[in-house]
Amino acid sequence: MNGGGSGERRRDAAAMAKVAGGRRTGGRTSAERPPPDRTVRRGQRRPAGVLAGRAALLAGIPMLALLAVPVVALITASSWDQLVQGVRDESFLPALWLSARTTFASMTLVILGGTPLAWWMSAREGRWARATELVVDLPIVVPPAVVGLALLEAFGRNGFFGPVLATLGLHLPFTTAAVVMAQVVVAAPFYVQSAAAAFRRTDADLLVVARTLGQSPAGAFVRVAAPLALPGLVTGAALSWARALGEFGATLLFAGNLAGSTRTMPLAIYTALEADTHVAVSLALALVGAGTLLLLPLRAVPAMLARRFGVPAKHWPHGA
Amino acid sequence: MRLKVFAASSLTEAFRDVETLFEAAHPEVDVVLSFAGSQTLRLQIERGARADVFASADPAQMELLSGAGLVEDERPFAYNAMAVIVPPGNPAGIESFRDLPRAERLVVGTENVPAGAYARRILAAGGEVFGPGFREAVKERIVSEESNIRLVRAKVERGEADAAIVYRTDALGARVRVVPVPANLNVEAEYVIAAVSGRTGRSTALRWIDFLGSVEAQDALAGRGFVVSNRPSSR
Repeated sequence: MNGGGSGERRRDAAAMAKVAGGRRTGGRTSAERPPPDRTVRRGQRRPAGVLAGRAALLAGIPMLALLAVPVVALITASSWDQLVQGVRDESFLPALWLSARTTFASMTLVILGGTPLAWWMSAREGRWARATELVVDLPIVVPPAVVGLALLEAFGRNGFFGPVLATLGLHLPFTTAAVVMAQVVVAAPFYVQSAAAAFRRTDADLLVVARTLGQSPAGAFVRVAAPLALPGLVTGAALSWARALGEFGATLLFAGNLAGSTRTMPLAIYTALEADTHVAVSLALALVGAGTLLLLPLRAVPAMLARRFGVPAKHWPHGA
Repeated sequence: MRLKVFAASSLTEAFRDVETLFEAAHPEVDVVLSFAGSQTLRLQIERGARADVFASADPAQMELLSGAGLVEDERPFAYNAMAVIVPPGNPAGIESFRDLPRAERLVVGTENVPAGAYARRILAAGGEVFGPGFREAVKERIVSEESNIRLVRAKVERGEADAAIVYRTDALGARVRVVPVPANLNVEAEYVIAAVSGRTGRSTALRWIDFLGSVEAQDALAGRGFVVSNRPSSR
C-alpha cells in the first residue's frame, strides 16, 4: 500500500493538509495541485501496456462483440419513430417514474446503511470480518428469484416476521416498499464491497495524522477517509444504482407486478413483451438510453471528484 | 425421437399424465414438455422456438399463430372454467363470488394471459349482475397481475393474497379453498392444440394430437378436472 515513491507520499500529505484543515486554501499554488495525477495514472497503465499488443486485442474481440452485439441489434431492430412510440406508450412514464422513485429510495438506504458497514469491514480482519463479507456477497451469487423467495419467507404474511409486521399493521408484499427492499438487497453488495475496497486503499497513516492534528474519529472519517474514498464510493453507488434499476426477479416474486405501484421498467418491458413486442423493444431502447446517460457521468464523475479533492491516483477505483 | 410440446401452465399435471401414457404407447418417443402462459409460448414460437406441438388455453393465442401460418391442424381438445380460490384460513371471509370485494389483496393474470382475460370477462359479467360498483371495487383490490396461472395460484397458496381467479382445475390438489363462480357469470375456456409448421417430427406431433382424443388420454384430462366428454374431439 505504501509502495509509492516519496514524491507521491508528499502529495498525499498535501492532499491531507487540505482536507484535514477543513478549509479551502484560498491561494492554492499550482505546486499543491496534483496535476501529476495524470502522469501517475498513465504510469500505472504502463506495465500492462508493455504486453497488451494486438494479440490481446484479437483474443478480446469475441468478448467485446458479445457485449456489444445485443445492444446494437436492439438499436438497429427499431427506428427513431419506434423509440418515440415507446416513450409515448401509456406504460412508459408510470414505470419510469416508479423506477426513479424506488431506486432513489433504495440508493439512499444503501448509502446510509452500507457506508458504516463498509468502513467497519475495511478496518477488520479475522473470522467476523470474513463472515460479514460472506453475508454481503451472498445476494450477488444467489439468483434474484431466490432473493425474492427468501424475502417472502422473511417478510411475507406467513413469513418469519409476518405476524410481527401484521400486528403493526404492515403488509410488505405487493407494495412499493417491497420493490425498494428487493432493490436494496440485490444492489447493496455492489456498493458495500466497492466502498470497503475504497476505504482499504485510504492510508491508515493519514488517519493517524488527522487524529494527531486534533480530529475526532468521526472527524477523521468525514474529513479524510470519506473524501479520499469518494471516487470509489461514487463508483460503487453508481454500480449499485444500475443493479437496482435492472432488478427484476426478486421484485416479481416479492412485490408482484402492478402498474403504478410495483411495475418498474424491467417488469414493464417483460409485461409489454407478452402483448406487443414492438412496445417492449421501444421500452427496452428507452432503458438502454437511460443506462447510457447514466454510464457517461459514471465514468466521468469519480475522476472529476478525484481531481477536485486532489486524491492521489492510487486511491482511485480501477477504471475510473 | 424427441417431441417438444409447448403447453399452457394450467395443463401441467394433465399433460404430465398424458406424457406417461403416450410414452408407454410409443416408447421410441421422448416427450419434452414446456409450460408457461399461452401468450409467452405463442411469442416464443413466433420468434422461432423449436416446438413441435402447441397447446393453448384459449383460441385467441392459437389464431395469432395460424393467421401467420405458423401452426396447422389445430383442434379443441378440452374445456375449463374459472373459480375463485382463497387461502385455507380464508382471512378475508369470502364465502361467495359476490364477496370478492372483501379481498384486500386480489391477484389475477395479466390481460394477455388467457386466464387473465377470462378473469376480466367474469368480473365484467359480475358488474352487470351486481352493479358497476362490484367491478370497480374488485379492480381496486387487484395487487398483482401475473404472467401465468400458476404464479397467480402461488400467491394464494403462500397466503400472500386473499383471493385469486384461476381455472377450476388449478384449485384441485392445491392447498386452497374454492369459491365457485356462478354458472351464468362463468366462461367456457376452450383449449386448442396444433402442430407447429415446418418441423421434421410432424407425424409424431400428429400422433400426440390424436392421442389426446384417445379414451385413456381423455380419462387423464378428466381426472385432472378438465371437461372432455360430450364434445367434438376433433373438427
